[in-house]
Amino acid sequence: MDRQQRHTRRRRGPHEGLDRMLGEAMRQAGIPSDRRQAFLTEAFGRLWNEIKEERMNQRIITENNIRNLGIRLPNGTVNKDYTAGFTLPNGEISAPRLDGADELGLELVYSPEDGKCQITGRPHTPGDFTLTLRYRTVEGEPESELRLPIAFNPDPRSLWRNIPTDPKVIYFKPDSATAYVKVEAGPDGTPRKDIVAASQRGRSHAQEGRPRDDHFLVEHCDRSDWYVLAVADGAGSAKFSRKGSEVACDTAVEYCLKRIDDNPPFEQAIRDYAADRANTDRRHALTQFVYDIVLRGAQAAHKAVSKLADLESDTRVKDFATTLMFAICKRFDFGWFVASFWVGDGAMCLISENGDIKLLGTPDEGEFSGQTRFLTMPEIFRDRNVYNRLKILIEPDFQKLLLMTDGVSDPMFETDRNLNDPAKWRELLDRLAHGFPADGIGGVDLDDDNEKAADQLLGWLDFWSPGNHDDRTIAILY
Amino acid sequence: MRRLPVYLLLDCSGSMFGEPIEAVKNGVQVLVSTLRQDPYALETAYLSIITFDSSARQASPLTELAAFQQPTLQASGCTALGEALTLVSQCADNEVVKTTPEKKGDWKPLVFIMTDGEPTDDLNKGIAEFNKRKWGMVVACAAGSGANTDTLKKITECVVSLDTADSATIKAFFKWVSASVSSGSMKVEETGVEANSLSELPPPPPEVNIVI
Repeated sequence: MDRQQRHTRRRRGPHEGLDRMLGEAMRQAGIPSDRRQAFLTEAFGRLWNEIKEERMNQRIITENNIRNLGIRLPNGTVNKDYTAGFTLPNGEISAPRLDGADELGLELVYSPEDGKCQITGRPHTPGDFTLTLRYRTVEGEPESELRLPIAFNPDPRSLWRNIPTDPKVIYFKPDSATAYVKVEAGPDGTPRKDIVAASQRGRSHAQEGRPRDDHFLVEHCDRSDWYVLAVADGAGSAKFSRKGSEVACDTAVEYCLKRIDDNPPFEQAIRDYAADRANTDRRHALTQFVYDIVLRGAQAAHKAVSKLADLESDTRVKDFATTLMFAICKRFDFGWFVASFWVGDGAMCLISENGDIKLLGTPDEGEFSGQTRFLTMPEIFRDRNVYNRLKILIEPDFQKLLLMTDGVSDPMFETDRNLNDPAKWRELLDRLAHGFPADGIGGVDLDDDNEKAADQLLGWLDFWSPGNHDDRTIAILY
Repeated sequence: MRRLPVYLLLDCSGSMFGEPIEAVKNGVQVLVSTLRQDPYALETAYLSIITFDSSARQASPLTELAAFQQPTLQASGCTALGEALTLVSQCADNEVVKTTPEKKGDWKPLVFIMTDGEPTDDLNKGIAEFNKRKWGMVVACAAGSGANTDTLKKITECVVSLDTADSATIKAFFKWVSASVSSGSMKVEETGVEANSLSELPPPPPEVNIVI
């Protein structure tokens, strides 16, 4: 009460004006002056009800307005930052708060100046939840509320299980494998290429505790300095393909090794051809050797896998279906000689000294994925085009020779056409070198004699690519 | 990444009013929550809901499972199943990525149709449009005695029926749909081949009868 009011009251009495007005009103309404108290009570009661109703109506109008905003909270993902925003009519509401936010790791920030609401946080529990937005509308009215459903997805990576393969399963093989073939510098001190290889069971298999179907085998002959690399991908739909891929690699590598380790005529044919590549006779002579060694190696692998079906009752060759790619390589004084065979999908490629890519064949992929060809198909070796599966390369030197199953090439290249895209190969090499830092996957140090590269490569094979969870195998001569 | 599109065609005609439509809403919720627990589906499955009453509309465009939100479903009007088939064909044209030499397209869409009555529009026109596209598995479900399985057989070989359109039965159907999407997303990943017949789907629960 300020001085002015006190002054007024002293001069005219506290209720003088009101009394006069009330008396006038009662006279007009014909109410006797002794009913003054009852009249007042009723009049104020009615007035008060009117005010209350108005307030309630106002609250309901505001609640409808808020409901009609159609606020929907987008879904979040566990362990990922969450943000959602909406705007409330700041003239109509005040003091909004979000019940249940705390428990979900969320927070509501409201700015009264413009009515903007921001929900932020990092959800920790997957599932469907309901938040309650509470806010004030009109003074004296109860708090209003709006239920807001919110869903948090699990971290997709947390859903993958890693169930070890039962060691008692027929044709058991370990869930992963690595190899490092360290070839030390020659007598003249020049470093020689090494081979690193790794194979990792795919998440789709790990999820079910099923064995790895991929396989590889890499060898180097100390005596003759030949390198042999083989990679095979057992068909996902074939029940014993893990054995098929193993036998295919083993047989092809063994077959070739036997025939190249001490084969001066073959090496002479290579030298002759390298010296005069226009010479048709020399080319034919060399090609004949490659047929006898590489193509027959593939045939031997085909036969060995086919035989597996005879060992077990109730099995057919189909049950061992596998792809196969392999290469034999040796460094001569004129440069490198590479001969290879490839049936099925995946990728086999030589990265030349200047970074050019040389695909060692064409992957067999049909119009739709999963329609690849297998070593085990009888028509493979009857087809006249089987010779197209062979490749001969002579290179002064090269950076890398890579063999990989589609578990690696699919996420990296997506389609066969992209295998011809040098940019995609550069990206793959860059990924190999630097890994996937955002996912905590390290790179591979492809330095001479770095035996740690084998484990690095195995770790690298764990990279994340949605929808690509096949077994992954890669062998690199570098 | 190759997505696995899943189209749900849901009857929202007047006869679905009450328990059935509530059960369908609940069923969609169960479907989505279940699939979110499956790493294959969470990564590859994309979901769209097309509703049909007196006309058909796409209530939810093809959305990745992680971002999918339940649309508002209300029951009223007739049963424009023919229009729904035309609409799903158009939606697939727009939404399903085709394979190019540089990019692998999506898997063939799975389609689940659920209806409780006879179509009230020109079904054959819709079927003609529908058959012009390549679909993965197409399952039609006759919910309750009002739906005619012979009519649904014109759309697809794979027809199932529910004896009643009550909550428990409809829920069982949606659980089976989610199991089918799960196994479908796993199968394409594993073998690269889409399922084509009912025998390749998980066995249905007792509430869901296969119509031969």
